[in-house]
Amino acid sequence: MAVETTLHSITRSGQSRGSPLRAMASLFVGSKEPPLPPQPAMGFFTDTSLCIGCKACEVACKQWNQLPAKDPAWTGSSYDNTGQLSAITWRHVEFIERIGRENGRSADIDDQVAQAKLDGIIPMMPPGTALPFFNTDRWLMQSDVCKHCANAPCQEACPTGAIIRTEFDTVYVQQDICNGCGYCVVACPFGVIARDEYGDHMAHKCTLCYDRLKDGLEPACAKACPTDSIQFGEVEQLKAHARERLGILHERGVEEARLYGVDDNILEGGLNSFFLLLDEPEVYNLPQHPPRPSNNVVPASLWTIVAATVLGLFGILFFRK
Amino acid sequence: MEGKRLPTTTTPFTGVQERFSLSNLVERLAMLTTGYTPDLDHELQEPSYYDYPVLKAPVWRWEIIWYFFFGGLAAGCYVIASIAALFGSREDRAVARTGYYLSLLAILPCPLLLTKDLGRPERFLHMLRIFKVKSPMSMGTWGLVSFSLFSGVTAVIQAARDGILGRWWGARLLAALPQRLIALPGTVLGIFLGGYTGVLLTATSVPLWSRSKVLGAVFISSAFSTSSALISLVLRFTHTPAHTLHKLERLEWVALLVEMMDLVTFLRGSGRAARPLVGTAPAEHGRTFWRFVFGGGLALPWLLQTLSLVGGRSGKRRNGRGIVISLLVLMGGYFLRRTMIEAGRSSSTDARTTLWNAKR
Repeated sequence: MAVETTLHSITRSGQSRGSPLRAMASLFVGSKEPPLPPQPAMGFFTDTSLCIGCKACEVACKQWNQLPAKDPAWTGSSYDNTGQLSAITWRHVEFIERIGRENGRSADIDDQVAQAKLDGIIPMMPPGTALPFFNTDRWLMQSDVCKHCANAPCQEACPTGAIIRTEFDTVYVQQDICNGCGYCVVACPFGVIARDEYGDHMAHKCTLCYDRLKDGLEPACAKACPTDSIQFGEVEQLKAHARERLGILHERGVEEARLYGVDDNILEGGLNSFFLLLDEPEVYNLPQHPPRPSNNVVPASLWTIVAATVLGLFGILFFRK
Repeated sequence: MEGKRLPTTTTPFTGVQERFSLSNLVERLAMLTTGYTPDLDHELQEPSYYDYPVLKAPVWRWEIIWYFFFGGLAAGCYVIASIAALFGSREDRAVARTGYYLSLLAILPCPLLLTKDLGRPERFLHMLRIFKVKSPMSMGTWGLVSFSLFSGVTAVIQAARDGILGRWWGARLLAALPQRLIALPGTVLGIFLGGYTGVLLTATSVPLWSRSKVLGAVFISSAFSTSSALISLVLRFTHTPAHTLHKLERLEWVALLVEMMDLVTFLRGSGRAARPLVGTAPAEHGRTFWRFVFGGGLALPWLLQTLSLVGGRSGKRRNGRGIVISLLVLMGGYFLRRTMIEAGRSSSTDARTTLWNAKR
């Protein structure tokens, strides 16, 4: 592969020598590399029904990408002491304790559990012990990550062209271009991309291990995941697999299972990194139908023009003799 | 159930029954304008992940607030000056002259503020790598660069005509350039610069900024009101005919009215998402907003202006009142941008409202 690249650059420089105009232009703007050969779109399928909350993905991501650790601190709300995705945390395992959920089956189950206790089917336990199989209290885990949206708001917002789509159709921040303007930070509807305020002051997020992908390896988190909760592959195949998995879960009675980002309705194109959830998206802090920020440009501009026209006409009216 | 356990006195909106106070009034105004009555019992039942923010907070700070303020002034002064130059009488040239000079003065700090705001200021030229219609920040950069050019050229021509540049051949050449023709594209760019900042905030995921689509209209109206305030403030210290000042006063009056209408439309269209701007809870900025933006910065100067326009013309008193009006409007324009940025930060950290905003 390295030889190929060298050969490629030789032919390229030969070409630019051929055209003096282009050579001169490249002096000022740099030579433009030809696009890399297209690859099938790659993505993640994070199946939260398999997640055991071991955080191996968080650690593998930090190690491979040489990301610094944040100062240790207890959140006090759960085993999740990472808190959020950030410029230095590109995988984040959520621990969601759903106690006293109210749905159609819960009252029924409570009665059954009470009856079973009376009958001695369920053994005596110290008070307050969780009974995962006999009530509706649940402990959900999810390894959150950049969604690599098909229409990525961060990429649409980026004014420098630092955020690009790679040949694998992933969303990638070119660190030698980013100037830390912070517009992608407020554009992302998932709160993924962040500016590193304590380091290089540039935007960072999951690269879907672009460097590993180039060498034909799978991303570090998917490699490390011991339960295959994080799966990596071609987006189309993964989506088919996700639908199949949903069917199996529904068959087994896990009616609350649902897919997030597989259909094309989120951000008008779906996500290349999608999820199987066991509850409403909001429970995982995932927005149900986030509006696409770039859709606001036209209506907002039109209202601005209307206001400017009204005021301009009044101005003309007042200043005319 | 969760809500009932909370002592009701800690909720921000129970003050209504208690007694008359500022937060009482602010809370009433907030509910009236947004059309949303906070329902804590209901909101606490909405699922979220331990209330951790869904979005990342904006990284923009004081630099952006001042840039929005100066950018609006530069744009508005240029547009008003051009209107005066193109349609006004001979006496109105004072407005054009002052407007063009002020526009250049106001635009000067803008690139510095924007560069300082970057995480990597030395890379500010990377903004000019691409031209991206979808990204308001990319378009804004190009708009600012080209407007600065026009603002600079127009002001230099003005200076040459006013004899500031001397009487050598270069100055005479500059003075002969068609200023009014140059002002036409400059005015279009000025309107762009005054409004795009609001469009930029609208094209984000922050509920407060993006839910209603009229923030650009609010900002361009504010550019008109603050600029007419600034120009008339300066003109009051020179010997300007009352007739010319009267024109500016009327424009200021209309701009303030349109701005108030825009803001009410903005609050109504945002509903619950506007709470961080108008409410009284700890992270909400309603007290500042109603006192320094809507009350002291818009409604009060508008009423004073109405009195001035309706009442007769008694020279000195009217001038004094005009100065007060101008200062109030300028203060309101600054606090509008400041509360909007700061409330946007609160809005981005409110997980439940963010998730509510993303529901269809």
